[in-house]
Amino acid sequence: MTKLNHTDCRNYIPIDVAKGMCHAHGDKIILADGDTCPQFEALPKCKFCKNFTDVDDKGIGCCEGFKVKDWTYADLKAVTCEHFVK
Amino acid sequence: MAKKLVDILEEKGMSLNLQYGGTAPAELTDREIKKEPTPRNKKLRDIYFQTLSSTTCEFTYWYNRKFKEMDGDVIEIRRAAALKNAFVHSTPVIFPGEKLVGGKAPYYRGSFPYPWLSEGFFMAKEDELYQAALAAGKASADEVSTFGAGGGNVTKSFGNVVSISGKYGIRKEEVPVLTKLAREWVNKSVDDVGHKYEQLVPEYGIKENVMRSVICMFDSGYTLPQGREVINYYYPLNYGYDRLIEMCEEGKARVAGRPDGDGVAGMDRLYFYEAAKLVLEGIQAWYLNYAKEAKRLASVTADPAQKAEFEEIADCMEWIAHKQPRTFREALQMTWMIHVGVLQEDSISGMSPGRVGQVLYPWFEQDIEAGRITEAEVLDLLESHRVKMTCIDCFASMGVVAGVLSSNTFNNLTMGGLTRDGQSAANRLEMLIIEAGITCQTTNPTLSIMYDEKLPEEFLLKAIECEKAGTGYPAWMNNRGGMEFLMKQYGPEGMTLEDARAIAIGGCLETSPCVWKELTLNDKKYWIPGGAGQPTSVGVHFISNPKVLEMVLTNGYDARTGLQVLPPHNKKLETYEELVGQFKAYYEIVVDCLATTNNIQHDIWRKHNMCIYNSLLKPDCLERGQHIGNLGYRFNATFNVESCGTCNQINSLAAMKKLVYDEKKYTLAEMLDALKNNFGFKTAAQVGSFSLEAQEKRDDDTGKYDEIHADCLRAPKHGNNDPLVDPILKDYEEWFCDMCRKYESLYGKPMYACQISVSTHGAQGASTGATPDGRLAGTTFADASMSAYPGTDRNGAYALFESACCWDHSQSQNSQMNLKIHPNAVRGIEGAKKLLDLTRSYMRRGGYHLQFNIVDSKVLKDAQQHPENYRDLLVRVAGFTQYWVEIGKPIQDEIVARTEYEGV
Repeated sequence: MTKLNHTDCRNYIPIDVAKGMCHAHGDKIILADGDTCPQFEALPKCKFCKNFTDVDDKGIGCCEGFKVKDWTYADLKAVTCEHFVK
Repeated sequence: MAKKLVDILEEKGMSLNLQYGGTAPAELTDREIKKEPTPRNKKLRDIYFQTLSSTTCEFTYWYNRKFKEMDGDVIEIRRAAALKNAFVHSTPVIFPGEKLVGGKAPYYRGSFPYPWLSEGFFMAKEDELYQAALAAGKASADEVSTFGAGGGNVTKSFGNVVSISGKYGIRKEEVPVLTKLAREWVNKSVDDVGHKYEQLVPEYGIKENVMRSVICMFDSGYTLPQGREVINYYYPLNYGYDRLIEMCEEGKARVAGRPDGDGVAGMDRLYFYEAAKLVLEGIQAWYLNYAKEAKRLASVTADPAQKAEFEEIADCMEWIAHKQPRTFREALQMTWMIHVGVLQEDSISGMSPGRVGQVLYPWFEQDIEAGRITEAEVLDLLESHRVKMTCIDCFASMGVVAGVLSSNTFNNLTMGGLTRDGQSAANRLEMLIIEAGITCQTTNPTLSIMYDEKLPEEFLLKAIECEKAGTGYPAWMNNRGGMEFLMKQYGPEGMTLEDARAIAIGGCLETSPCVWKELTLNDKKYWIPGGAGQPTSVGVHFISNPKVLEMVLTNGYDARTGLQVLPPHNKKLETYEELVGQFKAYYEIVVDCLATTNNIQHDIWRKHNMCIYNSLLKPDCLERGQHIGNLGYRFNATFNVESCGTCNQINSLAAMKKLVYDEKKYTLAEMLDALKNNFGFKTAAQVGSFSLEAQEKRDDDTGKYDEIHADCLRAPKHGNNDPLVDPILKDYEEWFCDMCRKYESLYGKPMYACQISVSTHGAQGASTGATPDGRLAGTTFADASMSAYPGTDRNGAYALFESACCWDHSQSQNSQMNLKIHPNAVRGIEGAKKLLDLTRSYMRRGGYHLQFNIVDSKVLKDAQQHPENYRDLLVRVAGFTQYWVEIGKPIQDEIVARTEYEGV
């Protein structure tokens, strides 16, 4: 798995593709690609899901969580996914 | 050093004076009215100023996945299920400090691609994108801190961000996803399927050349298939979503298996009601996901005030997911979510809130009376609403977003006008909406006043105060003229005078059909207006009038592309009448090929990609059980023909008439030779400036064309109440407005004239050679349709108005007039009254639209040199207000050059 950054964290509120706010640090604006901190809490994403398999080098793999399987991608947020399994 | 036109003219004693009515002071003059938003909204707006336009594939992915899964199902159901799946799975993001929540994508200024509409422009860029993604990884993420010029536009890739179309940023890890999604829509998108069938039109070959030569700016069927229309918030506001779902169930039971005499579309009603129900369920889940996220944030927030705000958001979203809103805040939040929800459904610009100050008045009135809210609290919410609306981005190709939209989305909020029973409709909430437009200056919603003699002075002067803040809004629209147009265009579909009084503006200044609906709140009844017509962003968009004239002069040949665009006419053009006759003949060929091919694109759209959510919101889809594609809307004759460059075309015809045909000072061949050689000048692209005054002579120029060029520049120009020019405009307008009605939309309705330029006068000017009015190759056309060319209106604003009103504006959906005025000219209460008098005089004369830039041109020049100091500078372009830094240079140059009035 590639190195984690702030976009992988539940405390991160994305403003745009490059930066966001950290709710664990008083909503301070931080760069998306910065290193994570001890308060890191994984955001539900396909790459953290047990149903995500056969991942290729571009981060595209298979989602086996739904009745009909299909491809998905590692960084898709799964906050609202009914079949996300940590 | 190459000589500039401005210096050459000075030598000849014919300075290009871009000021009228005096001389502006040497120092920079700031705007008179300056106010600030509340600290909350200032912070939220400041975040916007730092935000990059960002795109993600999340909505696209979930839509695509379900659409594939539903293969073989009825198309309406398939599309609705896909939309539902996307809404249900959209990640809710709430930004601390917001009172109004919700957005188009999980970013502050987010958007997403719609490959089912058009995937071509991603595919063409696939290799480039992927290579950029690879290369960009080597760059430092610190580059982001220097990103600023260009506002939020991601003009180049950096760090883990890849630029798409010079506008949107996408995370590097999503690039393979974008291209994979795009590949799955090859030969299936509206663009591809439409293209397959448009080629069956006999005149397709001409159409392709018309597009390549940029006589026409873009296809409307798959780029922006909806928009420039007025949304309707009535049904959710009056009934709540639970009741709407019940109504869909009742509709299904009523129509299932029963065509009720309609053998073509009667059976489709079942599918529409089922599709509507599915989308409504998706919308409810989407709202509830925000409620859940607000609760989660409340649970991890220590600050009691912020925690309480998250809890209030959760309560609001949970309630409006099911029921009619109880308070002004809930109602405003609901209208915002409806608005964003519709924008999720399609690539749309110009989805206008309409007369939202009248729609929300019932809640405002009752909350104020009950002491549930203060005006200061309402103002705070309205400012938040402005920031939210400004965050709307539209994802489309560069040609559309940059060349037409200047990155704007034209969410036009209309005020004033008349009530259903013919009284002034202006109200106290609209006064606060204007105040929010002053205190929280943002691009959206842009504001429009439906000017009517019945509007109170206090309201009009409040609007003038807003003008003096330099916001570029509100625009002034002629209420009576607009109603006349609506009655003519939609009378055959049953529009009544009462309906016409519900008029509002969709997009920049597109007169749109609306209706009244009766709303009940706490047993009190109100009539509220809302949109009831199809989009007006559809039809033939935009035709470059000067380019058509160029085709006449070149026998249909385009030197820039080397194409024989139109069939050679082989006429000698010996008389002015023959010249004008050929102009009209060529114009009709252009409109005809664009109308037929765009009809096919739109037909594919309505069959494959019809809107469900927007349909169910507008009268009378829910009652009829039919979506937009089956003529569910009350009014459907909305397709139009849009023109660009009217002023340069008229000025060119005037120059030809005087110099070649009447006085015979030059032969046609001499004029053509001068035009072909750009009067001895370089092209605008070579010079790097797109305004006339900055153009430079070619190094090898011998001065051969100096005299003819000077004569062309000296020839009579539009905007001076001139007896040679005004009849040319009148003749053209009467022909144009009549001609458009000869063409039929796919819905079997007559088209009509639409005369706005948006930003196309930049791109279409760039692709047009020198014109007989003395304009040089590649320079931007005059803005709008009634504005004068920069520096050529030498008899003052009232002469300009006389010229502009020599024809009946109610024959057209709109006409457009922009004026630039130095702040000193309208200073103080006396200046405010003069500005109102000026506005009134144009409206009373029959002008349709008037808009002001109250700005010192020197400020604009300074902003070009130092954009980093002007992130918040607003200017009026042509129908919309935009941040200066987000406008392309051709349009910036044109705005700088516009005649600056030093007195009114």
